[in-house]
Amino acid sequence: MQRYGFALLSGGLFGAGLLTSGMTDTRKVQGWLDVFGDWDPTLAFVMGGAILPMAVAWRLAAQRRDSYLGLDLPGPPKREVSAHLVIGSVIFGMGWALAGLCPGPAIASISYGGVGGAVFLLAMLAGMVVAPRVRDRIDQAAPAASPRSKMDIRALTPTYAVSPQIDPSDLPAIKAAGYTTVIDNRPDGEIPAHLHTQQMKAAAEALGLKFVANPVIGGALSMDNVRLQAQAMAEASGPVFAYCASGNRCSVVWALMNAGERSADDLIRTPAKYGYNLEPIRAQIEALAAEAEASKD
Amino acid sequence: MHDWIWGFVGGLMIGGAAAVFLLFNGRIMGASGIIGELVDRSGLANWAERVVFLAGLIAVPYLLTLAFGGAETHLTGNWLVIVIAGILVGVGSRLANGCTSGHGVCGISRLSLRGIVATVFYIVAGGVTMAVMRHLIGVI
Repeated sequence: MQRYGFALLSGGLFGAGLLTSGMTDTRKVQGWLDVFGDWDPTLAFVMGGAILPMAVAWRLAAQRRDSYLGLDLPGPPKREVSAHLVIGSVIFGMGWALAGLCPGPAIASISYGGVGGAVFLLAMLAGMVVAPRVRDRIDQAAPAASPRSKMDIRALTPTYAVSPQIDPSDLPAIKAAGYTTVIDNRPDGEIPAHLHTQQMKAAAEALGLKFVANPVIGGALSMDNVRLQAQAMAEASGPVFAYCASGNRCSVVWALMNAGERSADDLIRTPAKYGYNLEPIRAQIEALAAEAEASKD
Repeated sequence: MHDWIWGFVGGLMIGGAAAVFLLFNGRIMGASGIIGELVDRSGLANWAERVVFLAGLIAVPYLLTLAFGGAETHLTGNWLVIVIAGILVGVGSRLANGCTSGHGVCGISRLSLRGIVATVFYIVAGGVTMAVMRHLIGVI
């Protein structure tokens, strides 16, 4: 329930900020973009003001395994600058300048923007409905410009890779890359039905891949998770591919599984190459390593 | 008080809203994604969180304008411009997978390459559109 309270607070504060900043006034937005006219600097102050607390928030988030409510934090940012990103941003910028409205203020304007605001919002929603078709047309016109595969295989070692959520259409590429076992570290409750363990398992096994379900609950990872992952690794006939929402949980499990085998620095540095921050579990890695050492004597 | 001071204070509130959404809900506050992934059904798994966020985004300005008077939007009266602009914003923000809040506020603040590239392109495109449509053609 708490998450809905915070979603309401966030949406409400966003709305109040839009009103306070004057970004609900299309003249201010257009005035900022109008460098050849009567230029209005307000928007730059709004952007600067908004980026400051958010930069602090990202730093706080980087030190945590999950959110204050125990929910998954976003994965590392995608780095790929695709044609979709550039073309989409140009189209968006044109519309933004024409009316002086972007999605946030357009939604908020339902309460104060009269019929004009509502018409803009409806047109925007219609644009969102046709956007996938525009995306397909861009892909047909310039297949080379669009990403070949959404797949992002992040190999922590030659025999273990992690990844954000995949869908069944990614499995052939995983097989082609030489992986023989796929581990699903994401509980079904987080995701739509077509990505549930049963569906993914059937699709993977149809390709001859071994599929292991080892759901890790965000923020409540258990040593059973670690043991099951290690067992799947031990039984695998080749490299193992693990996925969750961002790949973070797969990395944490991997680090705990290898505590004592490799140094804590190494176990933290390797996932960090892909943006996964394991610093918050350093103590846990070290404790497990000490335990393994003690049991050897 | 100067407009830019209000702008800065309002900006802090917008950034604070994004910080709450990140640190508590674990989510990136991008207006186009929150509503757009309901439209294309890809975000139905957490539809309630999205709807509640949107309810706050609409209800709080409603209450504030009720208490302190209406906000003047100065939106153009040219219906054709409104509809075309709306469609462009809808298509573009979904193609780019983000808008001013997602790429601009949340992306730049974590120095995301995609966020920075998107922001540069939409601002330049917006500036050029403004120059052409206002100063050359005189439509807006």
